[in-house]
Amino acid sequence: MKRVQELLAEIGLEPERVEMFNMSAAMAATFVEAATEMNQRIENLGPNPLRVPQTAGKGA
Amino acid sequence: MIVGEQKPLDEIKGLIGDAENVLVMGCGTCVTVCFAGGAREAATVATSLRMSTKLDGAPKQITEATVQRQCEWEYLEEVSAAVEGADAVVSLGCGVGVQAIAEKFTDAWVVPGLNTSFMGIPVEQGVWEERCAACGECVLGITAGICPIARCSKSLLNGPCGGSEDGHCEVDPETPCAWQLIHDRLNHMDRLEVLMNPQPPKNWKASRDGGPRRIVRDDLRRAAEQEE
Ligand code: SF4
Ligand code: SF4
Repeated sequence: MKRVQELLAEIGLEPERVEMFNMSAAMAATFVEAATEMNQRIENLGPNPLRVPQTAGKGA
Repeated sequence: MIVGEQKPLDEIKGLIGDAENVLVMGCGTCVTVCFAGGAREAATVATSLRMSTKLDGAPKQITEATVQRQCEWEYLEEVSAAVEGADAVVSLGCGVGVQAIAEKFTDAWVVPGLNTSFMGIPVEQGVWEERCAACGECVLGITAGICPIARCSKSLLNGPCGGSEDGHCEVDPETPCAWQLIHDRLNHMDRLEVLMNPQPPKNWKASRDGGPRRIVRDDLRRAAEQEE
């Protein structure tokens, strides 16, 4: 996971877009917490710029 | 094996410059087993370059290919078309692979994607250490199979030096003193008497000091001629 985060940073994307959370199937509350945190984080970061063809590349 | 380490992506991007079509070429031998430049790493570098150049606003055409051995021309034959169609080739082979590509394809612009580090072994998962410096006249037969050229910081032939401390080298306390290792192993083998013969100065001409090296085997050449 650390390697993937390093790769993302090298590429120029925010490494915190990926994260691994360890939990068992019985830990519903922890799951919700992790999902909420990731959702919040991604909303703050905005969409992946590579998925928005009109912004970065075009016309440059 | 030859051990290498990937260059930072920014450096690779700088080396390919404004090339539009870029071929990332992996090698299936040494650098595959040290996880630096095999098919998997070629795919990762190719994807990273694709994403990164797109983010920069100047996306490039990145393709990838991996051959069994970049260091032999016949293996490069199969990627001729891909190399010739590329504005730049990023070789993830060792320095020998990069040069083999440059020699075979006169018009190819080839750049290294790895730093070739040394000849060595994996000592644990994710850790590699140097073992041989290709000195051209191997002395392992009188050093209990432990190389003083590659593993002693001063490449001493008669060690240890005065800086050996508790089994570690004065140059770097993390590094075991090669001569302590040699002594201990000779002791273990009950052959300490080997150390009673001081070694004369080494012929460094057989190593890098004699200029680029070459081996000619007339027997093999003759056999090849007869086959023709
Ligand atoms: S003595 Fe020379 S050839 Fe032998 S292992 Fe050491 S560097 Fe390599
Ligand atoms: S401490 Fe040992 S390994 Fe280091 S330079 Fe001296 S003899 Fe060589």
